Amino acid sequence: MAKDNIERIQTYVGSMASLPVTVSKVLEVCNNPKTSPIDLDRVIALDPVLMGRVLKLINSAYYGLGTQVTSLVRAIIMLGVNTVKNLALSTAVIDRFSSRKGFSAINMDGFWRHSLCVGVTSKLIAQRRGADPKTLEEYFAAGLLHDIGKIPMNDALGEDYMLAVSTADRDRIPLHLAERKVLGVDHAIAGAAVAKAWRLTGAINDAIVFHHALPAYEDENWEVLLTVAVANYFAGREGIGFSGNLYPEKLPPDIFDRLSIQKGLLEDLEGPVNAEIEKAKVFLRQAK
Amino acid sequence: MFSLKIWGDRGSMPTPGPETVLFGGNTSCLELRADGRLVIIDAGSGIRQLGDSLMRTDLKNGPISADIFISHTHWDHIMGFPMFTPIYVPGTKLNIRGPITYEDETLENVIGSQLSYRYWPVRQEELAAAIEYEQIKESTYDLGGGLFLTTKYLNHPILCLGYRFEYRGRSIVTIYDHEPFRNIFPTDPSDPSYDAEAAKEGDLAAAEENDKILRFMEGADLVVHDAQYTAKEYLASKVGWGHSSYETAINACHRARAKRLLLFHHDPNRGDVELQELELFYQSRVGGKTGLVVEMAREGTTYVVEG
Repeated sequence: MAKDNIERIQTYVGSMASLPVTVSKVLEVCNNPKTSPIDLDRVIALDPVLMGRVLKLINSAYYGLGTQVTSLVRAIIMLGVNTVKNLALSTAVIDRFSSRKGFSAINMDGFWRHSLCVGVTSKLIAQRRGADPKTLEEYFAAGLLHDIGKIPMNDALGEDYMLAVSTADRDRIPLHLAERKVLGVDHAIAGAAVAKAWRLTGAINDAIVFHHALPAYEDENWEVLLTVAVANYFAGREGIGFSGNLYPEKLPPDIFDRLSIQKGLLEDLEGPVNAEIEKAKVFLRQAK
Repeated sequence: MFSLKIWGDRGSMPTPGPETVLFGGNTSCLELRADGRLVIIDAGSGIRQLGDSLMRTDLKNGPISADIFISHTHWDHIMGFPMFTPIYVPGTKLNIRGPITYEDETLENVIGSQLSYRYWPVRQEELAAAIEYEQIKESTYDLGGGLFLTTKYLNHPILCLGYRFEYRGRSIVTIYDHEPFRNIFPTDPSDPSYDAEAAKEGDLAAAEENDKILRFMEGADLVVHDAQYTAKEYLASKVGWGHSSYETAINACHRARAKRLLLFHHDPNRGDVELQELELFYQSRVGGKTGLVVEMAREGTTYVVEG
């Protein structure tokens, strides 16, 4: 059965739309209030799929423009940076997070909120630890995408995945263990298939594949991985969003020492994390 | 009769007081009449007095029925709505239409939420009038009774529509809040983010969009055009704010062969004396060079386009 399930996931992943250069790049540019028209044009134009979708939305009945707009520069001049920014944001992120059928086992809104929370929390922790500013967006993307494997699990396995989620709930065990027990495959394995298809490498890949296997990980991206794990713990503890994991595993006792942070740091994060998520609400609405 | 009466012409914020007696201190509200048909453009603070006037003159002939077109949902264009008395009168029928910006909520929420306890003692649900809301776009509409409307997206920080009403071969056009489209991409090759292709496409796009605006007001009998700044003020510190200069409005209307221009959306910091001086200055500058009649919009004045 496990083999069969893995095949179903792989078939599904093969049919998923490709990820643009990086979702985090779009987010980074769009979340910056100082984004200039040229920054926006460049980051969207980097990805033909994203650009096509933005232009499609601009030319859609939503705006009812009299003429066909075929260049992004023109769209930015006609509709303004803000409008195109929001279009790009919702297109870049939500399209890839929302499944074609809509989450059945896990609520889509809750899943997305959880992912966003882990993304912004990872970035904030990295900031507090004095991480290189150039790497902050990587922390964000790693956190944002860590649970991405749950999308093919949910979409490809349908009711079976619902059974896994309810098993985790009933047996009070972490979701990834319930997934293995019921389906013979977990969202880390499914996530690895997504990472491979989207050519996600480095820290982002490692966060997706190893976030429930911290002790086994001995590679160079341990700081990002452990940070994402702490952020994931924080999201669960604070009840920000929900991705099906009511009974998460305990964090390794030495994790705060290894990251050279105090556990108390998390107490200060609640405000900033909520503020960051609030900013993103605008495109959360567009997902529905 | 095809006419337009100004109930509010002030930009940004109402400016009551002795300095604004002549040109008025209420924010945007226009009353358009096409014989028996009533159309209101914008629900700025001027709509309060329009409402009172309708109660005195129209109500005795039967329930008030009007189309309200909102140029955009910035506050100065919707703030008068809760004080528009006909909304409290049973039998009133209103069709409120306007654009909403991508990330915003429905038009009903954006305008109607002003009527919630935190802002106002009466809630939207308690209004006696029958009110329909409709989000509209760039298009052409047959409003019935021979009245036609064409809409055009303008250049403002949020989606904003210009309106062109046609009735019996005559036209009234509103172009506010609007700043000429401009190339917002760097055009200086020494700029580190210069991109030749974007610079060129940006120039072309801005020029084409401005041409569309000219065509939109082509030959209009009356144009109500954004003119919040002088060209000097605009260039000094107001680029990108979404408003036009007097010079821009005059040149555009002249090129579009419009017949009469009302300079509109007066800056809240400008008093009657300054507006009068500016009006005389621009009239003297254009005198004899164009068939265009140029004047400052004056609150309380009616402009009859066709008798």
